[in-house]
Amino acid sequence: MWIVRPARHEDLAGIEKLATGHGARVSTLPQSRDKLSEKIDHSIRSLAGDPSLADRQRFLFVLEDSDTGTIHGTAGIDARAGNGQPFYNYRRDELIHASHELDVSKTAAVLYPTHELTGKTLLCSFTIDASLRKTEAFELLSRARLLFIDRHREQFSDMLVVEIQGMQTEEGNAPFWDSLGRHFFHMDFATADYYSGVKSKTFIAELMPPHPIYVTLLSEAAQNAIGEPHDAAARTCQLLEREGFRTGKHIDIFDGGPVLEATTDALNTITSRRYKTVRRGEGSRGLRYIVANGDSEGFRCALTNVSDGLGDVVRVNNEVADALQVVEGDDLVLVAL
Amino acid sequence: MLLIRPLSQGDLDDLHGMTEKAGKGLTSLPPNRDLLSRKIARSEATFQEKCEPEAGFYMFALEDSAQKKCVGVSGIEARVGLDEVWYNYRLSTTVNASRELGVHVKTPTLHLTNDMTDTSEICSLLLADTHRQGGNGLLLSRARFLFMADFRQLFSEKVFAEMRGESDSEGRSPLWDALGRRFFDMDFSEADFLSGMGNKSFIAELMPKYPIYLPLLPESAREVVGQVHENTRPALKMLQAEGFNFNGLVDIFDAGPVVEAFIHNIRAVRESFKRHVLVSRQPVNMDVPPEERVMISNRSFRDFRVTTIPASCIKPDTVSIPAEVAEALQVSSGDLVRLSPLKDAAGTRKPARS
Repeated sequence: MWIVRPARHEDLAGIEKLATGHGARVSTLPQSRDKLSEKIDHSIRSLAGDPSLADRQRFLFVLEDSDTGTIHGTAGIDARAGNGQPFYNYRRDELIHASHELDVSKTAAVLYPTHELTGKTLLCSFTIDASLRKTEAFELLSRARLLFIDRHREQFSDMLVVEIQGMQTEEGNAPFWDSLGRHFFHMDFATADYYSGVKSKTFIAELMPPHPIYVTLLSEAAQNAIGEPHDAAARTCQLLEREGFRTGKHIDIFDGGPVLEATTDALNTITSRRYKTVRRGEGSRGLRYIVANGDSEGFRCALTNVSDGLGDVVRVNNEVADALQVVEGDDLVLVAL
Repeated sequence: MLLIRPLSQGDLDDLHGMTEKAGKGLTSLPPNRDLLSRKIARSEATFQEKCEPEAGFYMFALEDSAQKKCVGVSGIEARVGLDEVWYNYRLSTTVNASRELGVHVKTPTLHLTNDMTDTSEICSLLLADTHRQGGNGLLLSRARFLFMADFRQLFSEKVFAEMRGESDSEGRSPLWDALGRRFFDMDFSEADFLSGMGNKSFIAELMPKYPIYLPLLPESAREVVGQVHENTRPALKMLQAEGFNFNGLVDIFDAGPVVEAFIHNIRAVRESFKRHVLVSRQPVNMDVPPEERVMISNRSFRDFRVTTIPASCIKPDTVSIPAEVAEALQVSSGDLVRLSPLKDAAGTRKPARS
């Protein structure tokens, strides 16, 4: 059975395997064992309500095959994008250059360096085994976070943002980076990507161009990459759009990938979820649902068939109830798959 | 004899003929009779003191007295940017550094500025092909500094010149193609023409206002920033010898450099001195090479005149000139004139840097 639960120190090896896996990277997991370990630790302390982490909570969840105990995916939430430091993006905008006398009017696309998304809640660190990309486990892993946010709503902002991996060539170069960032950072995309995972974001503030960028001065390939997701992120985008995420005006400063944004309380998962009381039983009938318990540190989320009636009680089969660590009479939240 | 005097409407035909031959690249003097006539009228009004000193526009004619013909012009704009908006790019450096990563990056950046506003500009220099020898170009250009020396209060402390930037034989500018054109669907030659017709600030309104990072431009454009057109190199060398230096600003269309100097530091001004005229009946051999000649100005505002005479005419207390020179300058014995070497006295001028 697939379970989504908070990451633990024992998961380090499994997570590391995912972070350093081959193929296009569609995650913001750092490629460093120390940094991963720190990230897990930060998540554990955030879940425990460590007061020193107020407004800097970062959560990391894993997708576990409860039959084998192996890790097949990760998904994270940064309660406040930037985690106390500025969170950088470019904002796409347009300027009209017009002259009445010469009867000319032309639109110039401009990228403004900005950190106005700092402090929004960021969904991040999403990684999943390539073989699971088309399964319901993918949806479970992604949406489990939203149920967690709902349960602990006061810890998160009214707006959610997600950075989607941008376009890359087969060799792993990013056309947007090559035309813009490379001139200012003096490093290739892979190096910058690596640093952004393992270093503090100070280097971005230090090296990124301070003035707005005229899009027309970038290479054609770079212009085409602006706001375009990587092919490998297509499923993620679909799922997020179904939730109510939309492409906003912001793009990633490294690869030009889009930043999707949504109003937290308007998310499909959050508006359609229902809280019920558990009644344990045998067998399972009904439609596919994502179900989660109400805990923080003991947060568990799984998939099961449920007959959701009008009442306040929902019958959950014993195996799933065990996996969620709920007993008769506990709270449960459920949302249709 | 070659004589500098204020340009007048009677010179219009000669001037129009010269501008037609000059072709593209001479932005400030397009071959357009109406426009040229308006410029002459402005200059005449200035010499007749019919306008405020700040609005002054002085145009000088180089007259070949044998041919009774205007064979060159040069001008001074008393102040730029007071009526219209005067734009330049400032070539500056943006540094981004990260100690942690050991990265230190210098990015040349163009900032749009109005820094030359309220400054005097020397401009509109044009010399007929037939007269490009014997120091005529020097006389035409440097006579302006003698005018400034005597009427310094009419000009700003600093004076500048915009040098024509690089363009190919078809008049295409690499900087315009990489930058201006992307914001304004127009060929450089057309933009340049409109700019000469007085529409420069309209065009500038369509140009990018935010700084331009040069590494985002192609190499062909980057390498012409601050470079002069081949045909303008002699003029640049002349101004450099005069004490003008690149001030870090470039033209917004073709990235040609702006050079500037304080008036009191300009060589023609610094090396100039005054003498009383003594009109002499003794014959003078006027036919001496440029190195042995000096410019002589009558110091008149309304009828400013300059010509050249042999340096040997200068005596300890006076300058002794033949009657025909006195007549051309409209001076008589006892008048105070200003003198300055046309070239470096003993031809010892240091080779100009290339």
